Parts: sequence; C-alpha cells; structure tokens
Amino acid sequence: MKLVVEETEGVTIVEAYGRLDSTTAKEFGDRLIALVQAGRCSLVIDLKNIAYISSAGFRALLIANRTTLERRGKLALCGVIGEVKRLFDIGNFNEEFLICPSQAEGIGKLRA
Amino acid sequence: MTSRRPPRTELTSSCEISITNNLSEIARVAALVDRFAADHNFSNELVVALQVSLDEVLNNIISYAYDDEGPHDIVVRLKIRCRNIEVSVSDDGKRFDPLTTLTPDFTSKPRVHGGVGLYFVRNLMDDVIYTRRDGVNHLQLMKRLKE
Repeated sequence: MKLVVEETEGVTIVEAYGRLDSTTAKEFGDRLIALVQAGRCSLVIDLKNIAYISSAGFRALLIANRTTLERRGKLALCGVIGEVKRLFDIGNFNEEFLICPSQAEGIGKLRA
Repeated sequence: MTSRRPPRTELTSSCEISITNNLSEIARVAALVDRFAADHNFSNELVVALQVSLDEVLNNIISYAYDDEGPHDIVVRLKIRCRNIEVSVSDDGKRFDPLTTLTPDFTSKPRVHGGVGLYFVRNLMDDVIYTRRDGVNHLQLMKRLKE
C-alpha cells in the first residue's frame, strides 16, 4: 500500500492510499510502528484517500495509537470522511482516536 | 394493433472464485468483487459493504476455521438476482454461525479487538443466513440494490 510520509513542524504526516484490509493492514501497521520506534511520535494519519477500513485495518490503527501513547507521543487522524466515516461510526471507533477535520488542525493539536 | 413487449428477461449474472485458506488469497476475491462491481455499476457504498464484509468473513474462516495445517478450499459466489446482490461463502471448516456472535463491548477500556468484524458484516448487509450441510458451512450475505 502507498504511504506518503512528510515532516512538518516536528509532526510526521502520513497520507495513506488504497484500502486498509486483511491484505494491507499488517504492512500499514508495521510501517507506523517503525516510524514511532524511530522517534517520530507525533503522527497525523490522513485517511482521505482510503476507500475502506475493515476490522484488520482498525486493529492496526488501534495498535499504532497505543504504541504512540506508550512513547508519550500523540496520534491524530484526519480525512475521516464518506464510507470510512461510516465504518468509524458503525464500529464505534470515534472515541478511540483523536480525529481532526484537516491535516492543519491535526498538526495544531499535536503541537499544542 | 397492440405492440408486444419483448419477453422480459431477468437480469441474472454471477461469478465464482475458489481460494485456499491463506490470508494472501483474500486479495483475489477483492479483485473479483471490483470487476463484478464495475460491470454492474455498483455504488461506492455497495462496493464498500461487499468488500468489508467479505474481508471479515474470509479472514475469520482462514484464521479460525481449521485445526489442521492442510490446504482447504473456500468458494465465494457473487450473484445478482431480483434486484438483490447475493454473496455466498462456503468452507469445510469447523461449524461456525457468525450470527451467534455477541455485539462487541464498546464500553471496555482499553478497547478489545474481538468481535467487531462480524458486527460490521451484520450492519453492512441487509440479510445474513447461515446453514451447514454435509460438513460445509454456507454463509449467504444479501444486499438489496437501490433503484
């Protein structure tokens, strides 16, 4: 799966493309954990180009979130829209993450 | 003179794929669903419902249905009939009725992972029917096509 990783103002932005499912979740999760272990503990993950997330993908996001918190970092999500937003609602995942309307607001929250 | 309509032909279309019990095989099913959806102009909402549901069902079968290490076939069929899309999944694994699983406990902290996958299936599909015949699990997932 395609991830575009950028660093802005000490915050790492990860733009994810494609699907987060049984096929891609492991690689996605491993790459997030690698970033956190490399000390990039302020992460904004932009999901606006993700078509859908199955429970395997949510699991990877939950683990990345927990790992970031354990390192006293912060993880924010943005681009939670359309069908992805619907899946967050069905699975009751909205309370589990810091969800921001845009990358800029995610960066702002993490720098605060 | 009354003009006669051409005989009404029911639009029926179907396809089938057989995979083995390896998680990497799920991508082949996803590709087939994409092609089937494109051929029939499915909405994005419908494609997502089908893809997520099949991902959950197949992941569950491949991860938990077999006690041995051997290869097993899982057959997935897609069919449009009477303005319904019907998906059936057949496997020769352990007896398992996904409709008997409980709604996940959304209040537990930290959130436990289990159970949300099949909860997605029940929410995204209009109808889910489980039967077991001759040692084979048959799961039917149905979604009504919107006009």
